[in-house]
Amino acid sequence: MAPRSIWNGTIAFGLVSVPIKVYSATESKTVHFREVHAKDGSRIEHRRICPRHPKKPVDYDEIVKGYEVSRNKWVELTDEELAAAAGSQSKRLDVEHFVPAGEIAPEYYERTYYLGAQDKSKDAYALLHAALERTERAAVGRWVFHNRERTVVIRTLGDVLALHTMRFHADLVDPGEYELARVQRKPADREIKMASALVDGLYTDFDPAAYTDSYREDVLTVVKAKAEGKNIEPPPEEEPEGADDLLAALEASLANA
Amino acid sequence: MARSLWSGSLSFGLVNVPVALFSGVRDTDLHFRQLHAKDHTPVEIHRFCADEDVEVPYEEIASGYETDDDELVVLTDAELATAAPRRTRTIDIEAFVDVAAVDPVYFDHPYVLMPLGDAEGTQRAYRLLLEVMERSERAALGRFVMRTKEYLTLIRARGGRLVLTTLLWHDEVRPSKAVPTPTKRDKPAKKEVDQAVALIDALSCPWDPERYEDSYEKRLKQILRRKAKGQTIEIPEEDEEPAPIPDLMAALERSLAEVKS
Repeated sequence: MAPRSIWNGTIAFGLVSVPIKVYSATESKTVHFREVHAKDGSRIEHRRICPRHPKKPVDYDEIVKGYEVSRNKWVELTDEELAAAAGSQSKRLDVEHFVPAGEIAPEYYERTYYLGAQDKSKDAYALLHAALERTERAAVGRWVFHNRERTVVIRTLGDVLALHTMRFHADLVDPGEYELARVQRKPADREIKMASALVDGLYTDFDPAAYTDSYREDVLTVVKAKAEGKNIEPPPEEEPEGADDLLAALEASLANA
Repeated sequence: MARSLWSGSLSFGLVNVPVALFSGVRDTDLHFRQLHAKDHTPVEIHRFCADEDVEVPYEEIASGYETDDDELVVLTDAELATAAPRRTRTIDIEAFVDVAAVDPVYFDHPYVLMPLGDAEGTQRAYRLLLEVMERSERAALGRFVMRTKEYLTLIRARGGRLVLTTLLWHDEVRPSKAVPTPTKRDKPAKKEVDQAVALIDALSCPWDPERYEDSYEKRLKQILRRKAKGQTIEIPEEDEEPAPIPDLMAALERSLAEVKS
């Protein structure tokens, strides 16, 4: 089945324009549950209740969006006004510049989409793909999607172009904000050597297909047991083992590896 | 101090480090509430039993799973927690990989991983792992369960701490085969690629994440200020989509000339 595109528009850099279609590249495969009333499994409804008029739920057409500018003082915004914050409702995706694709830390990547070529100008898509591949660069641009402007990175991924929405630097926590307690004794050279040997011993090429979410199966096993009326016992609490003797633990780990 | 989202043990060989997980993302978004239009009271979401039409307290909510033959199986949180008990408490490091070998398509959510508790043994084990990771370009690959979902994760050193990035599972990344791409016929001429490469070179700079700011939030704040003063908000017109270019080579040449001038 051909996938459905979720946005159509044009990438613009310099005077070159590349008409594209955007497709979702990812999907969640988590086992989904719905909320039910525990005693009889009946359906749970989420109702909007106004604390001042709690007798009956508030209909959707009686709801407006508001932002609290000061205590109990709300500014109401219509959907159109909210959309105005996105800037122009553009069908353009403007590329501002190009960066070395390998320099971007994992934290910045938010969500991935595939870009498809539009029938009318596949040559422009092919050109951008070829040039990005040769330069090993990624295009950085701005994209308005779902009424929100995002910074995006476009790079090659096999035969397609991939688009990543990016997190803003100001939205990322600097890990150093979390304080690390002082230690009386720093890790000894011998410990570092042994831990490094353990890291080397566990080194492997990354093959994403080699890892599967076994938890989905585990959850479905519990569901099946419950459906069959079996008693589901919680497992005994395990005491986590401390790392009192680091050196001994490292030695034993290396011997096991 | 932010609250930890998960706590447990980071297990590396036979070394166990008690750790707590914190979000690596700060929520700086403006949050809107749903208001009752007539008097601007924020509405609350309440859970009701659809059959009995009565409000149901949170403790009486369970998870329902519909089987393939339309049978509803009801599970409590305690029952669900029996699915993979070890993995709900332990991040097991299975391997070490090169960070660059993990395609960004897999990156999901960033977290900061901190030692839990002041015990000297814990702190030293954390520092040991940190120091070893700082010396190598490698990241640890591990898995654990948080809030009824299992995550594959990449753990590495960043800014003097261990950070964890959850990864999507391989089957959560859709195949790109069905995405329309150019055919051999569309293959650009070498001189076109040369020109495009020259244009990219001219527009290149190092990746500097600090130069990008959330102009959406900024504009939203302006709009709120204007609205609070009773001013009207202008709705911007739609930009024109650029027309497809008939002559790629000419567009490249003109773009290059513009950049260089």
